[in-house]
Amino acid sequence: MLKKIIKWTILGGALALLAACGSNDQNTRLRISVIPKATSHEFWQSVHAGAIRAGKELDVEVVWIGPEKEDDRQQQIALIDNQVMNQVDGIVLAPLDKVAVLRPVKNAVTKNVPVIIYDSNLEGSEDIRTSFVATNNREGGRIAGEQLGNMLNGSGKVVLLRYLEGSASTTNREAGFLEALQKFPDIELVSDEQYAGVTVASAQQASENLLLRFTGPDGKLTIDGIFCPNESSTYGMLQALRRQRLGGTVTFVGFDASESLIEGLESRDISGLVVQNPFKMGYIGVKTMVQHLKGEPVEKIIDTGVAFVTPENMNEPAMQELIKPDLDKWLNMQ
Amino acid sequence: MIDQVSLSNKSLLRMATRHLNKFGSVLALALVFAFFATLNAKMASLAALETMVQQTVIVGMAALGMTLVIISAGIDLSVGSIIAFASVAVASLIDSVGLSPGQAAIGALLAGTACGLVNGLLIARLRIVPFIVTLGMLLVVRGLAKGLANSMPINVGGTWLSDLLATLPADQKWQLVPPGAWLMLLIALLVGGFLRYTQLGRHVFAVGSNEQTARLCGVAVERVKIFVYAASGFFAGFAGLMLMSYQEQGDPTGALGLELDVIAAVVIGGGSLSGGEGSIFGSLIGAMIMTVIRTGCQLNGWPTWVTQVVTGAVIVIAVAVDRFRHRQQA
Repeated sequence: MLKKIIKWTILGGALALLAACGSNDQNTRLRISVIPKATSHEFWQSVHAGAIRAGKELDVEVVWIGPEKEDDRQQQIALIDNQVMNQVDGIVLAPLDKVAVLRPVKNAVTKNVPVIIYDSNLEGSEDIRTSFVATNNREGGRIAGEQLGNMLNGSGKVVLLRYLEGSASTTNREAGFLEALQKFPDIELVSDEQYAGVTVASAQQASENLLLRFTGPDGKLTIDGIFCPNESSTYGMLQALRRQRLGGTVTFVGFDASESLIEGLESRDISGLVVQNPFKMGYIGVKTMVQHLKGEPVEKIIDTGVAFVTPENMNEPAMQELIKPDLDKWLNMQ
Repeated sequence: MIDQVSLSNKSLLRMATRHLNKFGSVLALALVFAFFATLNAKMASLAALETMVQQTVIVGMAALGMTLVIISAGIDLSVGSIIAFASVAVASLIDSVGLSPGQAAIGALLAGTACGLVNGLLIARLRIVPFIVTLGMLLVVRGLAKGLANSMPINVGGTWLSDLLATLPADQKWQLVPPGAWLMLLIALLVGGFLRYTQLGRHVFAVGSNEQTARLCGVAVERVKIFVYAASGFFAGFAGLMLMSYQEQGDPTGALGLELDVIAAVVIGGGSLSGGEGSIFGSLIGAMIMTVIRTGCQLNGWPTWVTQVVTGAVIVIAVAVDRFRHRQQA
């Protein structure tokens, strides 16, 4: 009996404490949840840094909370529902799946929590979302295809290693890439049916097997160009090329930037990277939400733009700012 | 006279099934391999063999520990997370602490073993079922890996650790497979010998076959359990070292869901989830079967979804055949 009383007292106390924490600075500052697809790719770290910067500049609280892995739809759904329950003022969300998280987003909007979608599209959210802040991924893929085609002088065999089934942003990049290749009648697409999967190791294994498939009897590659549509697949392919000592023997275009991919550009194992502006995405996402909450009109679609970085132009200041943003400055602030 | 003939026939049959049990998984591997090799001659090339062995080492290494756990009628869902944690531990010990690669490697093995030890202590002392304890540790250790790595991969290339799982340079092709693979085989031999010839090894089987009986016979059941989970952590730590070698980075999101591959490898290799059965040799063959399927499908340009369907089907068929043989024996 005594034990029970103690137990309930502790539980009650804890709850009261929680409630106290929750109500602490409510009503004083706006609270905006920024939900990424995953928390650990460098890409999402940049989004986080951008969101923090906007938070500092506009004096709002940024709640950064994301699922463990990039294919855990259930967890992201639960996260969105929880943020609505916590009565945040707005949600800035990168949907893991182009359809699966529509239900919780609808739920948020009906409970008067506005939602801005960023990075990837959420089909069916066009009428309910406040804004869509993203790279035009199809355009990004198209740029990759055009650049690769030009680097190959318009002829050769090309491989596309896809990223993950159901991911809208990368599916659009893949589609844009294939569309751009159409302009080069002498370029032959020899494989586009393989997916890299979520982890670097799975991407690396798929890459090794692709390279094996397209290695001639003389040990040289029979393909001329490769495209990978995101950071982890690009790194997996880079590792596979390097460790088979095939780096630089093929024109290799990737997507996104990270420390190791930049190093791949420097060593010329990578011929070019389509680079987005995730920092800007986080920054604009939060900023647009604040504008909306203050009753100002906002753009329905905001393109954060891409750039094509090559070993030749990577040292230009504009490119440096994109590929080596000062993340620690912002991330250490929180 | 007639009786005797039928008796010897019977014992012959028994001997045959026993060998089939032992080599059933090898037969399955040979069949799968032959199937893909006839479709694509590249499958049988030295380069393909090297790649496939290379891709099996991480799962194979973790499967050594998982085999012990499964024989003891347990399960360890935390190995994927421990692999990631260990890979991050090596990388950060080299990168931030400044230890030599060798020292960092030992650090990672200790980190893995420590995680496993926590599993073992919770399971044996608090008597919580392994599924729950290791499910909890799956999250705890994954979180720790992310925290330790500051949620970003830590790049550490160019040390001798990277060579453990690197493709061999042209003048070293006589080694056939990279040093990490040989290391795994050597360790597998040791663990196999340990299971068969030592008292503790036999006790693992005893605990898995019938815990109560084992206890009555004087087996220190709790200690055996703590040992198998610590061993599983140790081998997951070793697998993490291999992951770090393969990717040349400590990856806090690496090896996601890999515990299922490891469990599948053990089960394909004849391990029974109800305990008392399993072999190190079989588990490695099981791990190899999964790699062969993936490589085979990808070499033939089959779409990724086909690979998954085929792998799943093979897991179920392997276990079904195994059960069928058991019923025949009984």
